[in-house]
Amino acid sequence: MSTATTRTSPPIGTLLMRGLFDENPVFRLALSLCPAVAVTTTVKNGVMLGVAVFVVQVLSSVSASLLRPVIIPKIRVPLFVIIIAIWVSVMDMVLAAFYPDIYAEVGLYVKLIVAFAIIISRMELFAMKHPPMPAFWDGFGMGLGFLVAMILTGALRELLGSGSVFGIQIVDFNPLLLVILPAGGFFTIGLIMALFNWVDVKRGIAVKDDYKGCHG
Amino acid sequence: MSTPQAAINTAPPSAREMAQIAIGLTVVCLIASIILGGFYLWTEPAKEHNVAAREQLLIRQLLGLSDRAEVGEVRRYLLWRGTNLEVFYLGESRLVQLDAIGNVIATRDVPPETAAEGDVDAWVASVAEPGEEQELRYVGRFFTGIEGGEAAGFVIEGKSIGFKTWIRFFLAVDAEFNLLGIEIIEHEEDPGLGDQITKPYFKHQFTGRSFDDIATIEVTKDPLPNEWRAALEALGETELDDWLQQNADNLAVHPDIHAITGATISSVAVADGVKRALRNFRKRMDLVEDHL
Repeated sequence: MSTATTRTSPPIGTLLMRGLFDENPVFRLALSLCPAVAVTTTVKNGVMLGVAVFVVQVLSSVSASLLRPVIIPKIRVPLFVIIIAIWVSVMDMVLAAFYPDIYAEVGLYVKLIVAFAIIISRMELFAMKHPPMPAFWDGFGMGLGFLVAMILTGALRELLGSGSVFGIQIVDFNPLLLVILPAGGFFTIGLIMALFNWVDVKRGIAVKDDYKGCHG
Repeated sequence: MSTPQAAINTAPPSAREMAQIAIGLTVVCLIASIILGGFYLWTEPAKEHNVAAREQLLIRQLLGLSDRAEVGEVRRYLLWRGTNLEVFYLGESRLVQLDAIGNVIATRDVPPETAAEGDVDAWVASVAEPGEEQELRYVGRFFTGIEGGEAAGFVIEGKSIGFKTWIRFFLAVDAEFNLLGIEIIEHEEDPGLGDQITKPYFKHQFTGRSFDDIATIEVTKDPLPNEWRAALEALGETELDDWLQQNADNLAVHPDIHAITGATISSVAVADGVKRALRNFRKRMDLVEDHL
């Protein structure tokens, strides 16, 4: 879809790749690590949170982009929070009322999302500067990137911490309890971050200074 | 920041601008509350219906009731009359009024039309005649499972403060106050840690304990032995009576509740809640059983 835009928007492929790899919210931007670490003790939990974030990210990005003309710049941040809160509450209420079975599984995760840094940062950095279609694909890519990150982290932690994946026992050994505990979550995410940087080095891309270490 | 640019940015906004911000935020919040209020009104009846249906199903499962069995509800209210506390119990057909130490002040029959559909809380409030500044407060309820005209057991609704907020749970007991099982109804414990309280290996640790067992039950941080965990997880697939027979030894060897790894607070919250709910329930039943 090519529309006359104020700014040229990157193609869909670039947007998706950015969310999945180049600017992966968890492994590159290191955003929303707190809920990510708390939840990824199993793949199933990771998938639930990932899907919930994905849906809210897409809806919020598109909403912000659509409301762009009427948003007063000075109050955009509180507005973003309100937009996210509306979508999260609406999802929560609709699921609880009409899909009680799904709600029993994902209800807890949906409520966590209001405070997600990644959603608000995509609204500020991208959706506010681009029309709805690119904003949709940016949200789509970032949400997908977060979902993939949750699956990767969850799978690794569940495998090492309880010897299973999706609750199915795969290997029988004394599980590494540390991996299930919050500290182990940070270790796991750190290791995958290192893997991402290693892939970059192999591809012959200089690793950005930002990704090299922890800076408060 | 000493650049002129920064100095301009930190200057207080003009009155016009501030008005624009204030009005903008007010309008946005108004719109947001209208949207949320609308969705609430639209979804709330369906949600309440779901919750009630799920509760009925759980009560029947916990007590092992057949389809023909009936479930009665008893609601409990408190009222301060001056400095005197009064307690009301509303059964399916009778209202019992007690003073603070448990003497029956009065009993009344519930009018059939109120019992059939009307707002029972409003009826109790009208009968109780609270004074000017007093208010009748609903404080809890329990359910009676009636199978073939006899009480097959009770389900007590209890709550306990968890890691973040209330954990609501159901506690099923037979007529001798032996615990038939617990079920977590509502909680907001952390996914992956505290939310394990809903898992069979945790909640089934309470099943099959007598009133005295529960009164002295404690939470231990020792790891849950593998074979005991396997037995607890098998309870869902076995009939309760068979399971109790097979696991009589296990129950005796494991008198304590094994805490969930990384979620001791949630585990203790449930154990304490169960303990308290059962103790209070027995005390209350002794007072009102014959009058309801």
